[in-house]
Amino acid sequence: MHELYIAECIVKSVNSSLPRNVAPTLVTQVRVQVGQLDAVVPDTLKFSFDAIKQSCGMPRAELLIQEIAVRGRCLDCAHEFGIDLPVFICPVCNRGHVEVLQGRGITLTRIIADDPEGEPNGNTSHS
Amino acid sequence: MEIPVIRDVLEESNALAKENRAAFDRHGVFVVNIMSSPGSGKTTLLQKTIVILAARGISCAVIEGDVTSTLDSERLAPLGIPVIQANTEPFGGDCHLGSHMVQAALKYLDLPSIEILFIENIGNLVCPAEFYLGENRKVMLLSLTEGEDKPTKYPLMFRECQVCLLSKMDLAPHLDIDLDLMKSNIQKANGMIRVFPISAKTGEGLMAWLDWLVNER
Repeated sequence: MHELYIAECIVKSVNSSLPRNVAPTLVTQVRVQVGQLDAVVPDTLKFSFDAIKQSCGMPRAELLIQEIAVRGRCLDCAHEFGIDLPVFICPVCNRGHVEVLQGRGITLTRIIADDPEGEPNGNTSHS
Repeated sequence: MEIPVIRDVLEESNALAKENRAAFDRHGVFVVNIMSSPGSGKTTLLQKTIVILAARGISCAVIEGDVTSTLDSERLAPLGIPVIQANTEPFGGDCHLGSHMVQAALKYLDLPSIEILFIENIGNLVCPAEFYLGENRKVMLLSLTEGEDKPTKYPLMFRECQVCLLSKMDLAPHLDIDLDLMKSNIQKANGMIRVFPISAKTGEGLMAWLDWLVNER
């Protein structure tokens, strides 16, 4: 179960992405994109994140996960197509020389935090 | 407030892996990350491979990954090569080797004296595929006893590797295994992966694997 390790990586990424005046305790929402090719179970990742967020100083942070479908490009005929796992075969030329264009990797895309000086705005005004 | 970010959450891990790679390149070390399910024959493969490479005058070393125990290191010890045991237990029992663990192991290796470094990852067909350690090549084993369906169930591992060694070929006569289906499933997951049927026990196919390894170096 490497989701716990990835959850720790997400916390590190959030911490190093926060402006200097925004404490981790102000973070209310963390959004990540997870490629469907990645061997990551979203529920397990969320469970892992929730398990460590208190000790990592962002107890109110909610992790939102957007799964990204896999797309590939045929290296022989350049056709681009959506990929239903686990068949990486070009539907046009029927060859298996396929590079993955999207659907692999875990990306931090957005952090929402309470304003350090004003009213809490949580995740109500930005979605 | 909203803080837009576009950031690979593994960037710190990948940065360490790049440092590892720079150290390998600086000393001309070719590094192979060996991955598979537990019990597919990684350590046995290394035992046989390293003996043949030594006979060809190629110096090897191994970073031996396990959650716990030094059993595999003890099996490799008679080879007389540097073997560094990397246990993840002190790191929380991770199911894969991380680039930070490889970096820690490098402190105990004399890189200028090594031509090929094998990283025997932790036995697991899922998690190790996710992480770049700084290696030159990723190689996996799929033993015949695991069944034809594994490429279908665990495509990332097959996507990430340049070579799939079909191990324990000596057991083929005793198993109800459809080898053509197994190979077809591998090709569906990754049409560019090289497949070498081998038996570390009988020596079948080892020369093709070794020739590939030496040529890639």
